[in-house]
Parts: sequence; C-alpha cells; structure tokens
Amino acid sequence: MTGRPLSSLETVLLGLAGLCAFVGLWTLLSVTGIVPRQFLPTPLDVATRMIQLLSSPFAGATLPMHLASSFQRYAYGVVLAALIGVPLGLLMGWFRLLDDIVTPIFDGLRFIAPIAWVPFAALWFGTGIGGPVMIIFAGAFPPCLINAYRGARFVEPRLIEAGRMLGTPNARMILEVLLPAAVPSIIAGLRVSAGLGWQSLVGAELIVAAAGVGFMMVQAQGSVQTATVMVGMVAIGLVGMLIDVLLRQGEGWLRRRRGLEA
Amino acid sequence: MASVGSRRTMIGLATLAGLIVLWFLLTTVTGLVTGARFPSPSEFWTSLTQISGRGYAGASLATHALHSLKLVAMGFSFAVLTGIPLGLWMGWSRRVEAFVNPIFLIIRPIPPLAWIPLAILWLGLGDAAKVMVIWFSAFVPSVINAFTGVRNIERPVIEAMQMLGTPRWRMIREVIVPAASPMIFTGLRLSLQASWTTLVAAELVGALVGVGFVLNMAQQDIYPGMILVGMITVGILGWATTMLLGWAERRALAWNVAARD
Amino acid sequence: MGSISFRKVDKVFGSSSGGVKALDDINLEIADKEFVAIVGPSGCGKTTCLRMVAGFEAASSGEVLVNGKAVTEPGPDRAVVFQQFALFPWKTVRENIELGLRNKNLPAPKRDELIAGALKLMSLESHANAFPHQLSGGMQQRVAIARAYVLDPVVLLMDEPFGALDAQTRVVMQEELVRLARRNPRTVLFITHAVEEAVYLADRVAIMTRRPGRIKEVLDIKTIRETENWDSHSKIEDVMDLESFVHLRTHIWKSLREEKGFKDV
Repeated sequence: MTGRPLSSLETVLLGLAGLCAFVGLWTLLSVTGIVPRQFLPTPLDVATRMIQLLSSPFAGATLPMHLASSFQRYAYGVVLAALIGVPLGLLMGWFRLLDDIVTPIFDGLRFIAPIAWVPFAALWFGTGIGGPVMIIFAGAFPPCLINAYRGARFVEPRLIEAGRMLGTPNARMILEVLLPAAVPSIIAGLRVSAGLGWQSLVGAELIVAAAGVGFMMVQAQGSVQTATVMVGMVAIGLVGMLIDVLLRQGEGWLRRRRGLEA
Repeated sequence: MASVGSRRTMIGLATLAGLIVLWFLLTTVTGLVTGARFPSPSEFWTSLTQISGRGYAGASLATHALHSLKLVAMGFSFAVLTGIPLGLWMGWSRRVEAFVNPIFLIIRPIPPLAWIPLAILWLGLGDAAKVMVIWFSAFVPSVINAFTGVRNIERPVIEAMQMLGTPRWRMIREVIVPAASPMIFTGLRLSLQASWTTLVAAELVGALVGVGFVLNMAQQDIYPGMILVGMITVGILGWATTMLLGWAERRALAWNVAARD
Repeated sequence: MGSISFRKVDKVFGSSSGGVKALDDINLEIADKEFVAIVGPSGCGKTTCLRMVAGFEAASSGEVLVNGKAVTEPGPDRAVVFQQFALFPWKTVRENIELGLRNKNLPAPKRDELIAGALKLMSLESHANAFPHQLSGGMQQRVAIARAYVLDPVVLLMDEPFGALDAQTRVVMQEELVRLARRNPRTVLFITHAVEEAVYLADRVAIMTRRPGRIKEVLDIKTIRETENWDSHSKIEDVMDLESFVHLRTHIWKSLREEKGFKDV
C-alpha cells in the first residue's frame, strides 16, 4: 500500500525483529518475575519440557502417545463427517426435495456450537472414544456438506443440459457429472473441515477424554504445570499446521492434475 | 420466485412437524429412546419451566443467558477494537506486516479453545479468564479480515485518494475503512462465531454461572431435558446476535452492490 | 503555469539487472494550456508517462517537470481521471466531488458553489445524491471528470478515460470534452490507443513506439483544425468525414502499424 513492496532482506530482518521482540518480552517477564515463573515459564522452559515429554509420560502417557490418541479420534471424526457429508451434499445438490428438507434442519442446528454437544456426548459415550468423535464430527460435518452441496448445485448449467440431452439417468448423472464437477469445491471443503475438526477436537478433549493432548493439558492445568500446558498448545498448533499444509499440497496436486492450475 | 420460497417454507414446516412427531414417537410413545439418553418432549418442557421459574444451577435461565451474553459482548468488543486497527495497520504498512507476521504465524495455528487451560491457570474460574479466551479467539479473524480488506482495495481508488491530496486521518476514516468494511464485516461474523464457541467451551470447563455451566451441571446431574434446554438456548443466543450483526452490516454496507449480487 | 516537460526520461521496472525498460529517452515539452494526446501500441509505456507526471511513478533517469519543478508526489494540482473511474462507492456523487475541496480546506459555501458549477457543467444535477453503482459508466466518468475539474488543476491528466465505456457513450463524452476544452482550456495530457479520439481532441499528438517506448513523431493538429475550421461542425461524425481529419488519422495509423506488434484494438 505505502509505495513499493519490501525487499526480501527487509522482510526477513523486520520479521526477525518482531520475533525477537516477542520472545524477548516473554523471557523478560518471566525471568524478572513480573509474572511468576510458575505461571509464565520462559520459552526455554517450554522447549525443555517438550523434549522431556517426548519420552517421559504425564497424565498416563508420553506426548507422542497423547498425540496419537488425539489423532485417532480426529481421523475417525473427520472421515465419518466426509463419508456422510459429501454424498449427502451431492444428493441435496441434485434432488431439490432433499435440499428443501435438510436445509432448514441444518440452518436450525447451525447456531449451536459443536462444543455444545459435549454434554450429550458425555452422557452417551462417557469418556470413551465416541464422545470426542461425535464432537469432531459435529465440527467437521458442515463444511463437507455445504461444499459438496455448492459444488453440485452450481455446476455449469450447460454440463447438466448436455448430460440430459445424452439421456443420462440420475445415478450416472450424479456420479459422472456432478461429482467430478464438484471435486474442487469438495476438496476445499475437506480442508476447512479438517481444520474445524482439529479445533473441535481440542474442545472435546478438554472435557470428555481420558487421554489425548487436550486431556493432558487439563491435567497439567489442574496441577499448575504451566510448561506442560504450553507444550500442549504448541503441539496442537504444530500438528494442526502440518495437517493444513499437507492438505493444501494435496489440493494443489489434484487441481494441477485436472488442469485447473498451471 | 415467490412460489419457490413458499414451497420451501411449506416443506420446512412439514419437516419440523415431522421431526416433532418423530420425537414424540421415539420417546414417549414407544420408549425406544429412554429418558437417560434423550429427553422426551414432556421432560424437555419440565426442564424449561423449571429453569425459567425456580431456576437451575443457581439462577434462572435469563440470568445464565444474560451472563453469557455479557461475556461474549465484552470479549467480542475487545477483540474487534484491538484486532481491526491492527489488521488495518498491517494492511496499510508493509513494514508493520513484516514485523508482526511471525508472531501471528506462531499464535494463529493454536486453536482458540487450547487457550482455555492457560487462561484458567492465569485468571481462575471467573469471568476474566473467559473474556480473555473469547478475546483471543475473536481477535485473529478480525485482524486477518481487516488486513485482507485493506490489501484488496483497488489501486486506482488509493491513487485517486492520493491525487486529491487527502490528509492522513481523512484517508483512514473516509477511504480505507469504508473500502475495507465488507471484508471487516466478514471478519466480524467469524469473530462472533468464534466467541460463542469459546464461551460455551470455557463455561463447560469451569464456571459458576452461564449457559455452558448449565450444560455442565445438567450433564453431571444426568438431566437430559436440561441439556436440551441449554443447547437450544445457546442456539438462540447465537442466532440472535448473528441477526443483529447482519442488520448492522446491511445498514453500513448499503452502498455495496457487489455483496448483494 | 501548467507546462509539462519530459527531459531524457528513462523508466525501468524491476531490478536494475534483468528489469524491463519501459521508456527510453523520452523528450516532450507541453506548453501551458496545450492539449496533447499520446498514442501508441499496448504496453508502450504511454500510461507510465502520465503516471510520472501524476506522481505515482518516478523516472529512473531524466526529469519530469511541471511548471519547471520536479514532480515528487501526487496532488490536486495535477488532477487525474482514471480509466476505471476510481470513484469512492460509499460516497454519493456530491461527496465524491467534494472530497478534494475539503482537502483544500475551502469553506462550505465556497465548496457548495464550486460543486454546483461542476454538477451543472457535467449535467449531473439530478444525480447529486446518487451512489456510483446507481449510475451508468458514462455518468460515473462524468463524476470523475467533475471531481478533477472542480479542483481547478493546473494540469489535467486523463488516462484512457473513455476506455471502459461503450462506443456510443464514448462518442458523446468526446464531444463534451471538446466543448469543455474549448471553453475552459487548461493543460491536458491525454492517453489513448484510439487514434481518431486523439486527432479529434488534441492540439498535438505524440506517437510512441512499442516497448521500450520512444516518441517517434509529434503531429501538429491544431493548425490544421483551425485552418479547416473543424469546430464549426458540432457532430463528431461530420468532423471525422473531413479530408483533413482522415489524412491525419491515416498518417498516424500507418506510423503505428510500422511498430511490429501493433494490433488494432
């Protein structure tokens, strides 16, 4: 906006400056005791604790084990959301009646945050795996449905007309016209869904789990192990970022294959 | 068009009626779904009257709802009042963007709900911790969208403003902010959504009043009717605040034809 | 007053090594109150010339002077009319025109007077409180011209101002601009790729080569226009029928066609 863009050198230097300011301020607050070290461990403390947690357990398992539990539930929830959401969205995109029935229900439930399903999840599944999976499903489902729906509904009308002209029956229409046309939208939806699912996972594990990173954080909070709490936050952030990066790569690869990108 | 709309309404109402009938059938009539799993309509009604009248978990529904609403309003407002200016500044100045970006890149991947344990550690189980977490979760979308809003301003508009010799303060108030406002409002909608999700989660984890607290208590008391009351309350509060925001958006963006198309 | 000077101007985009040379040794003197059009193939750099006078770009070497002083930044003394109109969609027509006047700290009565004049001049009186999106392209460009004119700029810079309009509207706007220019003359730098438009409007036409742009030739239109009395014809099609007009137009076309890569847009 203000004139020319920055040179790479300037960008890197300013970025480093910002980073140093952040880390520096943090360390300063902690080391000088302005915020008690117990409540604000230094960045180094957090890093150390992370390395410790890689091998020594806390709240029943090591960090990798907790992550594995979390990821397992997450995977179930997201896959389930996709398996139900995408086909349903496609069908809604094609069959108007289905759209008219499901959309009001969906709109009604939309305002209830996925996390609000936790009490029922707890009631129905206790601390078993069903609880978190249900919450993750609640979070991951909407984008799958909406994007599949939009992808199918807003297919280039000429393609539909061409299909009709060729006498294509419904099932084939959906599988061979709508689905391929909707793939970009679906993939984008899956990416959003994966992100939302991961966020819902955290919420779920804070309340209804007996293992997993969220659970680890709650236990750490209870015993005022701030460094562990922060390790949990960092771990969740890193894994979330990794998932997003991988999915973006996958999305790009798929788009290139279909000639949508250079 | 009108006939399509009313057909949709008809089907919507029919579906609603069908669901309610189904609800009755599954619970009261056949007993397929027992009280411990999902409340029957009458159980739901009992819970509703209880909390509206005598109260539940220490207060009436109105008190709980208003308290949650207050927290969301506070957190949302702080987030918006801090996030939008920062986003605008980052959008306008590439230097500021370069400086702040790394910090953002670190903070951003951390899901808002992941801040809850830390917030409780720092600020306890009271309102402060919740407002803090709400502020955090609503902050990020506001910044990002304000930033994008400024970056997306077409170059000729910026140049016209410069050509007219517009002083700094007027630039921001009369050109930058209005131009970025469609994206800012998108950010506000996301911030509001994040605020409610975080509030409910925070109250579920630890609270002494509020809709999330009602949900928590109802779950511990194994009181499904009350859980349903809580969930519906959350939904209504979310819907009402979203409608309010939508009204504000329509008024502020009356000039924006593109959004209407 | 409102003179414009390009002296040995070069412009390179991108890094000093491997950058793109857009302009090569541009030399052009435009006198006060002269209407000069620059024509050339797409990408020849003619818009860049205008942007340097406006203050949006700086010359890589050489000088760009207005009134003998170097151009450093944009300002209302060198008002710009953009191809994309660049009106503020959230402001009414009146408010769009008013902004420049408020920036000059003119008192309200003075502003109202100037705005009323501008609205009348551009036939916008009944649309004063409309929003840009409610107006057609032609009307929006009128607002943009009014916004520039009301500043009483020493230099008026028009960057393919009618490029985004349909053919009929374009013709109407050209006729209006001529009326305006004759009645209220000031220095104008007009960029276009439409040869007929340039010949119809300008006192002189500069022809640019393709990139890197150089000034190939400068034609004097004004003398011929006055000798042949083009202004006695109020309709543009009558002027364009005149032999003197056709001759000039064809000359410029031939000159442009020599530039390999010239396409009749």
